[in-house]
Amino acid sequence: MTPEPPRLAVWLLTHWLADEWADFVVGDMEEEFARRARLSQASARAWFWRAALRCLIAPPPLGRHTEQLHVSPPAGDPAVRTLLADVAYSLRVLLRAPSFSLAVIAVLALGIGANTAIFSIVNTVLLRPLPYRNSARLVRIFHTPPAATFPGIKRFSVSPANFYDWKRETTGVDNMAIYQYRPFTIAAGGRADAVLGGAVGDGFFDIVGMPAALGRTFRADEDSPGRDRVVVLSDGFWRTRFAADRNVVGKTVTLSDEVFTIVGVMPQRFSMKTWGIAGVDLWVPVAYNDEARAIRDNHNAAVVARLKPGVDVAAANAELSAVSVRLEAAYPQANAGWGAVVIPLQEVLVGDARTPLLILLAAVGLVLLIACANVGNLLFARALGRRKELAIRAALGAGRGRVFQQILVETLVLACAGGAAGVLLARVALQVGASILAANQVPRADEIAVDGSVLLFALVLSLLTGVLAGAVPAFRAGRADLNDALKEGGRSDAGSVGVRTRRLLIVCEVALSVMLLMGAGLMIRTLSALRSVEAGYDPANVLTMTTRLPETRYKTPAQVSAYYQAALDKVRALPGVESAGAIDDLPTQGGSVQPIVLEGHAELLPRDQPTVEVRKIAPDYLKTMRIPILRGRDVAANDTDAMLVSRSAAKLLWGDRDPIGTRVTLPLQSKTRQSTIVGIVGDVKQGELSGAAGAAVYEFTHEHDWRGMNFAIRTTVPPQSIAPSAVAALRSLDAEQPIEQVRTMNAIVDETLTSQRFSALLLGIFAGVALVLASVGIFSVLSYIVRGRSREIGIRTALGAGTADVVRLVMVEGMTPALAGIAAGAVGVLVSAKLLQRMVYGVSGSDPLTLGAVSLTLALVALAASLVPAYRACRLDPLEVLRAE
Amino acid sequence: MWFKSSARNAPILGDFEQLVLLGVLRLASDASGAAIRHEIHERSGRDVSINAVYTTLDRLEGKRLLRSSVGDPTPERGGRRRKFYALTPAGTAALKQAYRGFAAMAEGFESVLSTQ
Repeated sequence: MTPEPPRLAVWLLTHWLADEWADFVVGDMEEEFARRARLSQASARAWFWRAALRCLIAPPPLGRHTEQLHVSPPAGDPAVRTLLADVAYSLRVLLRAPSFSLAVIAVLALGIGANTAIFSIVNTVLLRPLPYRNSARLVRIFHTPPAATFPGIKRFSVSPANFYDWKRETTGVDNMAIYQYRPFTIAAGGRADAVLGGAVGDGFFDIVGMPAALGRTFRADEDSPGRDRVVVLSDGFWRTRFAADRNVVGKTVTLSDEVFTIVGVMPQRFSMKTWGIAGVDLWVPVAYNDEARAIRDNHNAAVVARLKPGVDVAAANAELSAVSVRLEAAYPQANAGWGAVVIPLQEVLVGDARTPLLILLAAVGLVLLIACANVGNLLFARALGRRKELAIRAALGAGRGRVFQQILVETLVLACAGGAAGVLLARVALQVGASILAANQVPRADEIAVDGSVLLFALVLSLLTGVLAGAVPAFRAGRADLNDALKEGGRSDAGSVGVRTRRLLIVCEVALSVMLLMGAGLMIRTLSALRSVEAGYDPANVLTMTTRLPETRYKTPAQVSAYYQAALDKVRALPGVESAGAIDDLPTQGGSVQPIVLEGHAELLPRDQPTVEVRKIAPDYLKTMRIPILRGRDVAANDTDAMLVSRSAAKLLWGDRDPIGTRVTLPLQSKTRQSTIVGIVGDVKQGELSGAAGAAVYEFTHEHDWRGMNFAIRTTVPPQSIAPSAVAALRSLDAEQPIEQVRTMNAIVDETLTSQRFSALLLGIFAGVALVLASVGIFSVLSYIVRGRSREIGIRTALGAGTADVVRLVMVEGMTPALAGIAAGAVGVLVSAKLLQRMVYGVSGSDPLTLGAVSLTLALVALAASLVPAYRACRLDPLEVLRAE
Repeated sequence: MWFKSSARNAPILGDFEQLVLLGVLRLASDASGAAIRHEIHERSGRDVSINAVYTTLDRLEGKRLLRSSVGDPTPERGGRRRKFYALTPAGTAALKQAYRGFAAMAEGFESVLSTQ
């Protein structure tokens, strides 16, 4: 068989070359191919491709001189042909200056890559719909508590009785379901593990809109006591616990000593860590009994709902509000002041991330602008170097528009190459980032990926960048004065042409860098302010761990009480332990807010009855956390129903009177049981570190059952080092009792700062990149100016100017635009201070100290970038310079 | 202007143009693009690309130093036509002038140049 040349190459050649050439060139190539193929077919093919590519990049010119041939007009749209020719020409020009091209592509890749990475996050977190059917119609419904008695709290959990009334009385909602978290223990090889379950009401899975992958979800009749011993597993739980057994449906599993029948397994895409209830290990029916359904004043459940088509959130809100007003009138004792609010599920999950992410997007946009300025600078220098070429083109008849187009096409080619490299960079950055980013730093972090819309974004960004960076140099190139350029041809980059434009680019770069550096500086100061915030307790050297006693084995409050008493005694006896206590919810971990009634006062309606943070503690918790006892004493093991109040709770409830010895009730728990105040303690920030320390009470009782408690253990040695012995001590007391979340208090506090740390880290990186780009920009412009003015400097030196004069000359040249940029950046900072204010804590968005430090940093960087050109200027030999002219 | 008089002489040839014209001269009636390329490669060792050869041929034709004619399609070329080139009198003159200059400058140094 005779070997054939590569068909694609032949096709490309015959379509790309002008008709008159196609025959001759391709024919020649086929002939030679046949000759070479007799020796080696592979090398012949390689040769053919090489030759074809050369012809494609630089085709022989149109045969204007061969009159004897019939010349047909070139095929295709002339504008497209020109564009393609420009692209081909650009490729050749750029390949001829590889270091210039690489520098530009690297800078653009950095800018576009950073933008693409951040946009990937924004796209996933804020723009991409949740992975559920018609997820835009999924909403959460919250209570809104009375503003006066729950200061600062906008959303509250829901009480079952109100939920069932909402469900009955609303029409704009397709369906709504109540749910709660329910912890279980599961026996595993001699010890018990804790698993987190969701207790979901009727309709939950229908509302979310996802069927089971195996088996089924719950039937309506299973949402009632007695028929509720059924369980749906998550994909992850099914894989780890049941080895992905496809016959698992119908089998049973023992959870907290009760037997459940497995009815289904949910698909993997249902599990969404960011939405807690979808991220749990398994689900059971909530199955409230009549008593639980009637609870109206205790708000402990969550509600998810699906709006009917055509009903928007505002309409649903209006309807829920109207229902709430009716319920307030019908049940004032429980509902006075309580409203309801409908919020899209997506907003609930990602709303908090919006501002930081958009600020990061803006910041990374600034990085790109700086990159554009730098690239503009490089292009500008190059365009000046090519003035002769461009002038010749113009002299040969190329119009201004034509030259403009060609330079712009070159920039666009560069930008597209930079964009492609940037997308690769973004993918790598996201992969590396994903391993560093904990899932709780950014919601939906596990879903972040480069998808179609991200690629589109990168493409549009590349084109915009190309236009932005190329427009000014291209415009200037088109406008260049022919005569000048040709005359000056010998000294291609002399003269002062373009210096003003380039100075302006420096001003922009420095100004943008100031803004980025300011953002990074403020975030770092926020972090340090939050780290050193007076939270009211000392988290250092404290180890914490959680247990949750199941009702099946710890039936009475006395048993529960005895367990904790014994557990704390065992832990206290360990070497290295200074003290140990327990609390139901550690600081920063949320907790209960309840109305409190002083002895001798009647309970008011909810909108008037003061509320406090209520924590249950075991003795020595305060000592362990080093929360100061201001008056009175700590609770003791032999107390019954004792209570401590925080300073602000004492002020809120008793004003100037002395609360010690008085008695209070917590009506949500018991309308009759009274606790006696035994002491006043320091205020503690129970919520976020950036929040205020609210009024809190700490109750200690043997009567009430504390199911889940956190041990707090103060150690004299590094806290993690006693973790194994502490866990072993608790296991020795009850081997079947799972011990969860063994971690230090410092780690818990640190975790609340992850979003600030994330922002600080990224802003820091962006600011670093900006600084480098700005200093490179200043350096290159100054070097250019020094070169351009070397004659002048030479004459000055010859006339007796000293080193200091020359240095001053160059420094002034470099520092003037830098200082102007710092001033412009400072104005930008002041304008954007309001936006930054929303992210910072303990420092003002226009903090003068940070701004001063930032300005100084940039001034120093500009100074450093000016040094080398200044040094070069000093070293100029006047004789040589003047002779060269 | 004064330098216009030199336009009456044959145009000055570039190094590669000389090689191409010599190729045409050597190949006589067989001077097609592929043959010229092959001839240059065989004799001078320079492996030039097809597009470069055609670009130069086209330029020389534009300067009226060459003329061309198109042959019939042949099967070994995949049914494609071949283009043949021949020197015009101006082309011969230009080549002569180049050779004269070269030979005059090299005269007496043949032994030095050939050993190199």
